[in-house]
Amino acid sequence: MKIVKIVGLTAALALGVAACGGGETTESAPAATDAASAPAASGPKFAGQTLTMWRLGDSNPPAQAYMDDLNAEFQKQTGATVKLEWIPWPQVNDKFTAAAAGGAGPDVTEIGNDQVPLWVSQEALSPITPLTSAGELAQIPKNLFGLETIDGEVYAVPWGAGTRAVLFRKDWFDELKIEVPKTWDDVVAAAKKIQDEKGKDVDGFAFNGGSDANHLLGAMAWSEGGDYAVKEGDKWVGKLADPTFKAGFETYTGLVTGGLSGKARLTQNTTDIRTRFANDKVGMYLTASWDIPGIEQDSKGKVKADQLAFFPLPAKTGGEAPAFFGGNDIAVWGTTKNAELSSEYIKLATSKQWADRYAKDGGLLPVYPDTLAALASDPVQAPFAAAFAKARSFPADPNWTEAGETKAVLQNAARSVIEGKASADEALAAANKELEEILNQ
Amino acid sequence: MTDTSIARRSHRPQKASGLNPKYIPYVLLIPGVLVMVALLLYPMIQAIIMSFQKVGIPQIREVNPKPADWVGWENYTKIFENDIFWSSLRNTLVFAFVTVSLTLIVGTGVGVLLQQLSKRMSTILIVGIMFAWAVPPVAQGVIWRWLFDAEAGIVNWALNLLPDFLATALFGRADWTGVPWLNEAYTVYIALIMTVVWASFPFVAVSVLAGLKSIPSELYEAARVDGSGPWRTFRSVTFPLLKPVFAVLTILSIIWDFKVFSQLYVLLNGPTNRGAFNLSMFSYAEAFRAPPKMGSGAAIAVILTIILLVVTAFYVRQMVKSEDVQ
Repeated sequence: MKIVKIVGLTAALALGVAACGGGETTESAPAATDAASAPAASGPKFAGQTLTMWRLGDSNPPAQAYMDDLNAEFQKQTGATVKLEWIPWPQVNDKFTAAAAGGAGPDVTEIGNDQVPLWVSQEALSPITPLTSAGELAQIPKNLFGLETIDGEVYAVPWGAGTRAVLFRKDWFDELKIEVPKTWDDVVAAAKKIQDEKGKDVDGFAFNGGSDANHLLGAMAWSEGGDYAVKEGDKWVGKLADPTFKAGFETYTGLVTGGLSGKARLTQNTTDIRTRFANDKVGMYLTASWDIPGIEQDSKGKVKADQLAFFPLPAKTGGEAPAFFGGNDIAVWGTTKNAELSSEYIKLATSKQWADRYAKDGGLLPVYPDTLAALASDPVQAPFAAAFAKARSFPADPNWTEAGETKAVLQNAARSVIEGKASADEALAAANKELEEILNQ
Repeated sequence: MTDTSIARRSHRPQKASGLNPKYIPYVLLIPGVLVMVALLLYPMIQAIIMSFQKVGIPQIREVNPKPADWVGWENYTKIFENDIFWSSLRNTLVFAFVTVSLTLIVGTGVGVLLQQLSKRMSTILIVGIMFAWAVPPVAQGVIWRWLFDAEAGIVNWALNLLPDFLATALFGRADWTGVPWLNEAYTVYIALIMTVVWASFPFVAVSVLAGLKSIPSELYEAARVDGSGPWRTFRSVTFPLLKPVFAVLTILSIIWDFKVFSQLYVLLNGPTNRGAFNLSMFSYAEAFRAPPKMGSGAAIAVILTIILLVVTAFYVRQMVKSEDVQ
């Protein structure tokens, strides 16, 4: 029958389409290398050239002003113009993936220090070892290059160091007569009070279960003396099933099971939380001070910087919890055609004057030791400087990003505990096995 | 008709084109075939090859790419050992089965309804439901994500409006404020089924309506004279005559629902909740998220394609068989 043939043909055609839809694994982005143009005959050495620079995060007025000034100075010195693009933090790994695969990458990029090992393993960054021992850059302490040095080569220069502290609504605390929390019990009590007064849908202390959840979980686990994994010989041994890690993990899942944060938002990352914070739906959350300009913008000016303040995250065991040792680096992208110009840019951006201003304008801690020492007396920066002294970091392995963000091993473990599908012991045992597999692959 | 007229013209002796008329259909097919080969066959073969290789960024980048390592069946064995694969497979199959059934049932119901309506009403209704069909997949996801929002969503609001005794009897709870829909795989898929059915039943309804219009009204008169009720009429007259239409619609729905991706991606707020993955999401997460493992992503895509081929081939065979019997 004719109709049967038509059915068969339609099915075959549609299947072809299906196969195409399911199997599109070859990506061929067009090469957008507009950077390399012929150097001009006269003027500065690089006159007429263009350098593409990726900044991470959201563009906000102080950051934009900093980049404008830096790029103007760069143009004055070298004659080259800078094309600046902003990449929001949660999209960074996806953007880097596309850029590394398609060849449409930048010349110079900002990069999170814990992302450096991954992108070096993907051969996406160029080594810049000679830069770091010359001029002012030699003043940057060598222990800040831990994640950036791989097999004796340096792939990125620390630009500013960031640790996390708890951002809270100072105006709410004043209104509800809540003291700034000194212990974990204070935090819980403050969160409950905020929820009682400001509505049940407000997160007293926001749970982070998104791509950057380990900043929060890590701080809680480290404060109990736990850690993710340790390297024994050349193998990683997972420590997630240890009672110390479990204690921190239970504090973390307790944010939701204890009702401090809504059950419906288990996948929110810092950017999602920030948006809710700007809309009066969050009382406290763990972040860094670079969120403040974004909050002013998201709230359309209704939540201003003077309504906000930070305190160091208290450990459940007393004292301050060790914070995640974060930091932003600057690196030369592997496929750049302007290696020399890119090095010049990094030299300028990480010089003392510009690195100090980068840290100051961006709410980060400076990488130059004498500037950092001067900060301890600054009341705004003091919580961060205090946390910085105890900062810890994630397993220094190229595969960490896969476990911590892509596969979201611990976020999924936390979800199964929160939903009551597994006990903390079961979930952590499974997560530990997977973490070891990923780190040791 | 066009091809015969061209053929005839080429027979004219004074205008000998030199091309044998029996080749003309093939010549006309060439552009289409070329497009299919370039856009379909080549990427498909590439994907199959990649599924046996270890492919990451160093292998596919533009500047001095490295040759890919051949790993044999390793990508496949690793996937079969992965729990996420089995939960994704289960999610994919159950979702496709439920959604295809619901889409066809709802679509047919609306199609039959449309035929009963006056011309004006049915036009209004068709235009209305076609809006749902025209909504792009990501926008569908956004719309339904808001509807299913735990605090501000209209779904929980509506469930709260139910009388308490009824809600408790039906669902075991009376207070729906803050109940999360988009956490657990089970409830995520309830939302996803709603989303996909909502957006795909209009096409089924309009196709069924077109089919219904082609059924001669004498058959219905005869059925009425024989004292057949509406259900009996549907079963004995409408359904058998529309069988070919249903066959096409079923196969298309199976194919569409097996590869749902965008709506799920939006409902899940990105690929974090691995328990709620389907095979498309799993393939994407493996192939494109840092560090990209395109080999295993391709292997999942190949498995999905094979499943789809088997299901569709089986279904087409059933159709052909039942047609032969008649």
